Amino acid sequence: MTDDPAPAPVEQRGERLHPLFLLTGLGKVIRGAWGALAGGAYLAFRGDLTLAVLLLGSFVGFSVAALVVKWWTFRFHLERDELRIDQGLVSRSSRAIPFDRVTDVDIEQGPLHRLLGLARLRMETGASAGAKDQEGTLETVSLARAGEIRDHVRARRRGIATDPVAETSGLAEAPPLFAMDMRRVLIAGLFNFSLAILAVLFGASQTFGDLIGFDPLSRAFWSGLLAQSAPLQAYVMAHRFVTIVAGSLVLGVIGVGTGLVRTLLREHGFRLDRTDSGLRRRRGLLTLTDVTIPARRIQAAILATGPIRRAFGWTTLKMQSLASDGAQGSHVVAPLARLDEAERIQHSLGRPLAPHADHWRGLSFGYVTSMAIPLALLALIATVATAVVGPVALLAAAGFTLAAVVRWAEWRHSRYALDGDMLFIDHGWWRQRRSILPVARIQSLDVTDNAWTRLFGFSRIRLGVAGGTLLVPFAIDAITRDDARALRQRLLAR
Amino acid sequence: MTATIPDDLQPVEPGYRHVLRLQAAIFWVPLLIGSLVLYHFVLFEFRFGVALPLVAFLLAFSSVTYAPSRIYRRLGYALDERLVRIVRGWLFHTDTIVPFVRVQHIDVTSGPLDKMFGLANLVVHTAGTHNSVVTLPGLRPDRAAAIRDAIRAEIRADAE
Repeated sequence: MTDDPAPAPVEQRGERLHPLFLLTGLGKVIRGAWGALAGGAYLAFRGDLTLAVLLLGSFVGFSVAALVVKWWTFRFHLERDELRIDQGLVSRSSRAIPFDRVTDVDIEQGPLHRLLGLARLRMETGASAGAKDQEGTLETVSLARAGEIRDHVRARRRGIATDPVAETSGLAEAPPLFAMDMRRVLIAGLFNFSLAILAVLFGASQTFGDLIGFDPLSRAFWSGLLAQSAPLQAYVMAHRFVTIVAGSLVLGVIGVGTGLVRTLLREHGFRLDRTDSGLRRRRGLLTLTDVTIPARRIQAAILATGPIRRAFGWTTLKMQSLASDGAQGSHVVAPLARLDEAERIQHSLGRPLAPHADHWRGLSFGYVTSMAIPLALLALIATVATAVVGPVALLAAAGFTLAAVVRWAEWRHSRYALDGDMLFIDHGWWRQRRSILPVARIQSLDVTDNAWTRLFGFSRIRLGVAGGTLLVPFAIDAITRDDARALRQRLLAR
Repeated sequence: MTATIPDDLQPVEPGYRHVLRLQAAIFWVPLLIGSLVLYHFVLFEFRFGVALPLVAFLLAFSSVTYAPSRIYRRLGYALDERLVRIVRGWLFHTDTIVPFVRVQHIDVTSGPLDKMFGLANLVVHTAGTHNSVVTLPGLRPDRAAAIRDAIRAEIRADAE
C-alpha cells in the first residue's frame, strides 16, 4: 500500500480549482473594489456619469477577466510525496510542497463555501512568515476533494498507510478529547469582553454621539427615550449622575455583547480530537475551520489565564507549533477549560501539565529590588515635589509605589522548574502564563545581563523556541548567575 | 552523556577591530558633519548651541578610537563537538549557546569591509523565533568555512 499512486486518478496536466472559484473569488474582488467605488461615486457626484460608469465597468471587467485567467492558468498536481502548484499567465511559477514539510493542513469554509459545498485548503509549511498567505493555498476545491487531499497528506507524512476512510469515519464516533457546548462557549464569550472595545465605544459616543444620534452619556438621549414616562424623565434631567451610570451600563452591555458574538462566531461547536498523528480542531459558526496540528510539530504548550477566569477556575490552553494560527501565533486547543481538561489534552500528547512540586524554583529577588529602588526614588522625588506642584504629585508617588508592589507580586508568582526533560516557566501575576517546553525543543539559549542587573546579581535566560511570536518570550527573567550556569548545563549539555 | 559547556573562549581575529572602527566612522562622520552644519546655520545663536557638535564629536571620537577595542576584547566564542557558544558585550552582556543539532542552515558571509581586512562572518540560522539568526563576526574565511563544515557534518549525522 505504501507505493500506490495518488488516491484519485489525476490527469497528466493536473487539476484545476473548482469552477465555482469564479463565484467565491468575487468576494475578494468586491473587497478590493473600494477605491474604484469611491472614485466612481466621486465622479457621479461631480456629474460625470459616463466616466463613472466607464471606470466601474472597466474595473469589474478587468477583475472578472483576471479571475478567469487565474482559474484558467492555475493547476495543481497531487503526487505521491508532494503537491505541485503551477500558476501564472505571463510569468509562470511552479511550486512543489513536499508533504514531509507540511505542518498543518487547514480546511476552511466561508459562508459561501458552505452553501456550495466547497472548501479552501491550506498547507502550512512553517516557511518564512512573509509568504504565509501565498504558500500552498487551494482557494476553492470541493469539500470531498479537500478531505481526500488531507487524508493523503496525513498518510504520507506519517510514512505509514492507513485507510483514510476508516480514520475519518472512526473519528466521528469516538468521543472528542475536548469539546465546548453552547453554555461553555457563551461563558468564554463573557471573558472575551475587552476593555479596549469599551474604551473605543466610550470615545466614539463622546465624539460622534451627536452625529449618529446615539450618546447614552447625554441627558437628551435618555429624556427622549423616556418621553413616555414623565416622572422618570424629570428624574433623569435632575440627576446627571443617573445618566452616566445608565450610559455606562449600555456601553458595557454593548462591549460584552460584542465579545459574545465574536466568540460565538469563532468557537461555536468547538471540538478537539486526538488523531493518530496529532490534534484535530474543528470550530466556527459561519466559517468552519478544520485544523490538524501534528503532534511532532508541537513545540510548546502555553497555559494562560486572567484574574477573573482564574477565580472561576478557567484556563486557556494553546499549542505553539511551527505553523501559526492566523495572527494568533499559537493554536488555541482549549479556549476555556478546567485544569483537568487541559491536563487530559497535554497527557494525550504524552506531556505533563505541571512538574513535581519540589522542582519549582523562584526568581532571584533582584527582580524586585532592581526595579523597586528606582521606583522608590521616583516616589520620594514626587512626594517632595508635592510642596511645589501640589497634591497631584502625591498621585504620581502612589503610582510609582503601586508599580513597585506589582513588580513584587509578579516576582511572587513567577517561577521555573526543570522536571525530567520538561521545562516549566510560570510568569505573571495579573495575567498568568505557564509555558511548558520539552528541553529537546530549545533552539538556542541566551544568558543576558547588563551593568544594572549585574549590580543586583542576576541574569536573564532567554530561550529560542520555534513558532509563536516574539511578543510571548520564553524567558526566566531573573536568575542568579550560578543558577543560570547550572540550569544551562542541565538544559544543553546532555 | 553529560559534558560541560566549554569555558575556554577564543578571541576573533584582531583585524575585526578595524572593521568596527570603519563601521563606526561610516555611521558617525555624517552625523558629525550634520551637527556642524546645524551649528553653523542655526545653533550658534543659542548660548549652549555648541553643546550638540561637541557631544557628537565626543561620541564619534570614542566610538572610533576606544569602543572597537573594548567590543573586540569582550567578544569570544567557544566550540566543542556539539555546540557553539558566543559571548559578547559588557554593558549589555549576552552569552548565546546554539546546539549544532538545532541549526537549520549556515551562511558564511563577508561584506566589503570584511573583505578589506580578510575576514568573514559565520551566520547560523535556528528555527527559534527569538535568536533566529546568530552571527559570529571577525573570523578568518578558512576558519569560518571549517566551523561551517563541522556543523554541517553534525546536522547530517542527526538527520540519519
